[in-house]
Amino acid sequence: MSEAMSRKMFLGRAAAGGALLSAPGLLRAAAASAAAPALPKTITFSNWPLYIDLNKKKQHPSLLQFQQAHPGTTVRYIEDINDNDSFFGKIEGPLSQGQSVGRDLIVLTDSSGLPQRMIQLGWLEQWDKSAMPHFKNLIPAQQHPIWDPHREYSLPWQSGMTGIGYDPKKVGYEIDSVDKLFTDPKLKGKVTLLTEMADTMGLVMLSNGDDPSHVTQASWNAAKTKIQKAVKSGQIRQFTGNDYAPLLANGSIYACFAWSGDMVQLQADHPGLKWIAPKTGAMIWTDNMLIPKGGDVYGASVLADWFYIPKIAAEVEDYVNYICPVTGADKILEKSDPAVAKNPLIFPPASLLKQTHQFDANALNNVKYKQDFQHLIGA
Amino acid sequence: MRWVRRHVLDGYAILALVYLFLPISVVVAFSFNAPKGRFNYTWQGFTFTNWAHPFAFPGLGGAVRVSIEIAFLSSLAATVLGTLIALALVRYKFRGSATTNLLIFIPMTTPEIVMGASLLTLFLNWRIPQGFSTILIAHIMFNISYVVVTVRARLVGFDRHLEEAAMDLGANELVTFFRVTLPLIMPGILAAGLLAFALSIDDFVITYFNAGTTITFPLFVWGAARVAVPPQINVIGTAIFVIAIVAMIANVVFQNRRARRLA
Amino acid sequence: MGKLLHRRAWVTPYALLTPGTAWLVIFFVVPMYYLGKMALSQGLFPIFSFGWQWHNFGDSVSEYSTQFVRSLEYAGIATALALVISYPLAYWIAFRGGRWKNLFLLLVIAPFFVTYLIRTLAWETILSDNGVVVRTLQAVHILGSDGRLLATSAAVIAGLTYNFLPFMVLPLYVSLEQIDHRLIEAASDLYASSPISFLRVTLPLSLPGVFAGVLLTFIPAAGDFINAQLLGTPQQYMIGNVIQSEFLSLRDYPTAAALSFVLMGAILVLVLVFARILGTDRLTSGAAA
Repeated sequence: MSEAMSRKMFLGRAAAGGALLSAPGLLRAAAASAAAPALPKTITFSNWPLYIDLNKKKQHPSLLQFQQAHPGTTVRYIEDINDNDSFFGKIEGPLSQGQSVGRDLIVLTDSSGLPQRMIQLGWLEQWDKSAMPHFKNLIPAQQHPIWDPHREYSLPWQSGMTGIGYDPKKVGYEIDSVDKLFTDPKLKGKVTLLTEMADTMGLVMLSNGDDPSHVTQASWNAAKTKIQKAVKSGQIRQFTGNDYAPLLANGSIYACFAWSGDMVQLQADHPGLKWIAPKTGAMIWTDNMLIPKGGDVYGASVLADWFYIPKIAAEVEDYVNYICPVTGADKILEKSDPAVAKNPLIFPPASLLKQTHQFDANALNNVKYKQDFQHLIGA
Repeated sequence: MRWVRRHVLDGYAILALVYLFLPISVVVAFSFNAPKGRFNYTWQGFTFTNWAHPFAFPGLGGAVRVSIEIAFLSSLAATVLGTLIALALVRYKFRGSATTNLLIFIPMTTPEIVMGASLLTLFLNWRIPQGFSTILIAHIMFNISYVVVTVRARLVGFDRHLEEAAMDLGANELVTFFRVTLPLIMPGILAAGLLAFALSIDDFVITYFNAGTTITFPLFVWGAARVAVPPQINVIGTAIFVIAIVAMIANVVFQNRRARRLA
Repeated sequence: MGKLLHRRAWVTPYALLTPGTAWLVIFFVVPMYYLGKMALSQGLFPIFSFGWQWHNFGDSVSEYSTQFVRSLEYAGIATALALVISYPLAYWIAFRGGRWKNLFLLLVIAPFFVTYLIRTLAWETILSDNGVVVRTLQAVHILGSDGRLLATSAAVIAGLTYNFLPFMVLPLYVSLEQIDHRLIEAASDLYASSPISFLRVTLPLSLPGVFAGVLLTFIPAAGDFINAQLLGTPQQYMIGNVIQSEFLSLRDYPTAAALSFVLMGAILVLVLVFARILGTDRLTSGAAA
């Protein structure tokens, strides 16, 4: 039984009968009390495409279940985020003028620097943690990011790793390092890198032995020069978004910087393709749920919390196949879909996670670095 | 030999049409593809399921409907507005014709992204909520120029003597326009309308900025492509123009029947 | 000269113009005013202050002159190719299309119903390094043994050409369809051979359509970004890509705005030169006829 319903009942009947106060959330609600907010009629949730569970009838069971548990509220789910910068460019207009963007919950990637930027600009609302009893299910590794140390504004939706995707048949051997992409003459013109600054520069810095979470001018220049040489010589063919996928699938490229979740999908039709974390290290990024200013804080908080219920998280994870930030989901999946539960790209073991790094949060919004990178990729 | 010479042009035209349709044939072929995963990049096997459930993807049907509505309305409005402008520019010498010409050209030179973003700024300043109507406004705006340039090419070569003859026979200006001029420039107007429709149904950048939370077909496709390219998208694309072509063929057959009956 | 003027005629052009131009003034000129203010501003996102920063224009041109020139080059080549491919097709539809003309016109724009991205993905499949096309070209040595079609200037220009074909075909058709066939008959009655009557009668009469088609192709092609992004390497990036990146990734709105105005200006200058060469009066105004 949901808290909102219980809360209404509680309010409706004057002072407490012990029979109602069963769920832990209710006790807190009882204490906080009299003017407890109600859920809005509609909660608008903008997300990336195919990032939520989808059943054979093409509905979203997790959302349907939310609506059943919270009658009177519907979730308007819109899959209109396909690029961090583009989406931000679209919402910054209204936000900078103090107007609402018509959404209660949005999802942006930390490695774009945008969640951080929005916090600095004051364009995000804070969670109503009193409405989020499942917040504690957030995995430990994600609990204190540098840019939002107490998770007041953000909550992970899914994470992903960036590493090397390649076709062993075309390459001829097992790749294990970034340097191979840059130096192997057999791969000339058959390699692509990503247009994401954090991913590309991060992986290359790691291959130089530098730490991408603390970018210095020296480490930046070293990575930049390495990439520049490879682009000039034609070793690197293009910089792509996720359009490396068709190129890898049809054999136009042999190896590339790739996202772990994409590989899981490509492998369904091309089981020979591989994804590895380079031996010098991989990058990890997280898509975060955020409440833009003007969104309904209570509604968004309750909805976000819903996805931290392990059963719900397991449903979503079973379809999405990126990295789950909710503890307990893997235990559930071990019984219902063991293949997913055992896939190291979806529930990476601690040994793999230790090899992942995040990009320096301050460098992400540094204008000079961003300009440098744009010039690298041709603009 | 003479057969060849006479049909060189036919052969050439067919080649050009083949070139035009080469990628489309791939799109149609892949609408029958049966990928196990979410990407539709390599051939995996033949199936009719995609065609059996074309609107299986949530949101796809709605997006298509929105796109077609907007394309239809915006091309209609732009064609009317643009034809009027073309008439004025070609038929009359007036103060401000040079400025008007400039006003027609400049929108075509403006990169879509700044046009889209500046238009959004306008809507925000005037507190116009973004959605269907703002997309429609934007599409009409950028279509007008294309209509003017296309219709003008038709009007310039138009033989004014036909109009003079009608007037000599007692028709006033309005009647002449509707019974003589308009039918004769109709191919130009139709072509302009088609062009506007195509531009509208394929627009991405300007629509993206001014759509609010509305989704059009291109927005849906670009969004989905990040994680998947479901064969249903191929199905919808194929279906739309097959329907349009069938409608057109039906129209021609109908006109032929009418002509034969009246003869 | 048509005797269509009478007492109230001076108002007629303005009456005809008003609805369309009003729409453009409100929904294009006003946004351009905002854009102009931004081009003369400076600052870092999100604080921009207006300040008559004319240097923005000069700075942006000198920094991105390569991409500017490249864009005009690619657009020019694509337009020329489109003209060569489209003219015979438009001619065929106009002269031989008969009752099916409208159907063929529809066929010409039909590819647009399948979104740009899907069309380009299809080309990526057709032209993939392992595909039939590339392997055939390698076999006949047009391409080197490790040659490719994708991620080259050829691919970008081919993409531009393909995507703007309807813009060239439709105006050409519109102009050609109108030509009075009796003029061509008259020419052959006067002993002109087919090529001559084409060159001396048909072609000149179709110039308004050529002009329109060239405009509708070159202008948007010069500002295109998507072909270079999907089909090109960094060495092919056009000014459209720069504007895209300045606006979305760097959020340097003044530079993006300044670049846009320079692009618009460059295109307009070229269009005016082209019109002058072809003789504008004949192409844009029947009032002088």
